Amino acid sequence: MKYIWIQLLLLVGTGALVLTFVRRWDRAHTRAWKRMAFAAFVIANVYAVFRPQDVTWIANQLGVGRGTDLVLYLLVVAMAFMTLNSFMRFRSLEAKLTDLARAIAVNDGQRVNDDRFTAEQAEVRAETADR
Amino acid sequence: MSDYDDVWLVIPAYNEGTVIADVVENARKVFPNIVVVDDGSTDNSAEHILTTGAHLVRHPVNLGQGAALQTGLAYALKQPGAAYFATFDADGQHQTPDVEKMVALLRDDQADVVLGSRFIEQTGEVPWIKRVVLRTAATISPTARKLNLTDSHNGLRVLNRKAAAQLRITMNGMAHASEIVAFLASADLRVTEVPVDILYTEYSRSKGQSLINGVNILFDISLRERARK
Repeated sequence: MKYIWIQLLLLVGTGALVLTFVRRWDRAHTRAWKRMAFAAFVIANVYAVFRPQDVTWIANQLGVGRGTDLVLYLLVVAMAFMTLNSFMRFRSLEAKLTDLARAIAVNDGQRVNDDRFTAEQAEVRAETADR
Repeated sequence: MSDYDDVWLVIPAYNEGTVIADVVENARKVFPNIVVVDDGSTDNSAEHILTTGAHLVRHPVNLGQGAALQTGLAYALKQPGAAYFATFDADGQHQTPDVEKMVALLRDDQADVVLGSRFIEQTGEVPWIKRVVLRTAATISPTARKLNLTDSHNGLRVLNRKAAAQLRITMNGMAHASEIVAFLASADLRVTEVPVDILYTEYSRSKGQSLINGVNILFDISLRERARK
């Protein structure tokens, strides 16, 4: 029973991870939550630098031995979020890049091929006219 | 003028300079309309394609075969008179008589999509390890089972205009084969399979999908299923 709180915390973190993964990620409110989480992270950092003993106290309340261990656990969760976040972002960028490249390819192709084949037809016409 | 003025062959090509011109000219004996999508090749594929009578569309950067197919279809759909669209491999392993057979089925309005299969009328030409893996892929894939497909990863497909206009390939890499099958299973289209012959030449073997890439494909697909919900 000693570890129940930290276990709960980590499970909730993982659950939230799965949720952001499964649901559409780039809605405005998801972004707002991410920013708030980041702000909280920064504030907690500054606080922990000045009062490390408080981190240990919180760790003890959660059933974790040392503050360092608690920070490590939370880092793992934060890191998983970041990895997922950049993965999603890369995928959406890739989709945009594909659309862009496709638009360029089709437009250029249409122009080049129109030139090629109308020139060819003109040549054929010229040849038949010569005869 | 030809009987196949309303058919467009879409050939994705990535670094196929050594064979692409032959493959295209060979196919053009039957099919006058061909668009080759040069997927940002680093060799002289584009020059070779320009010597042929095929339309050339070039991706400014390499995007993958799935993306190239979608680009080729987008281009072909814009061409006047285009009614049937065939995806065809650049390495010379597909045969035009198979495409003619498939187009005939669509003309008869027996289906909206015809897929080539290596496993109806077994010819024994498929290397055994490939046969085992591909059969497994077709059997475990719920969508392939729903459509009763025997071969979910054949590059030879013919679509009519209705089907081609609906298709949106988002998997740029090699997972597009499964994506196409999934699309066909969810769309309201009539899909049928016909036996086709694949020429496993030295060249196509060297360019073909290594089986280890199957791991990448499975990963891509599982993520796509997630991301969709």
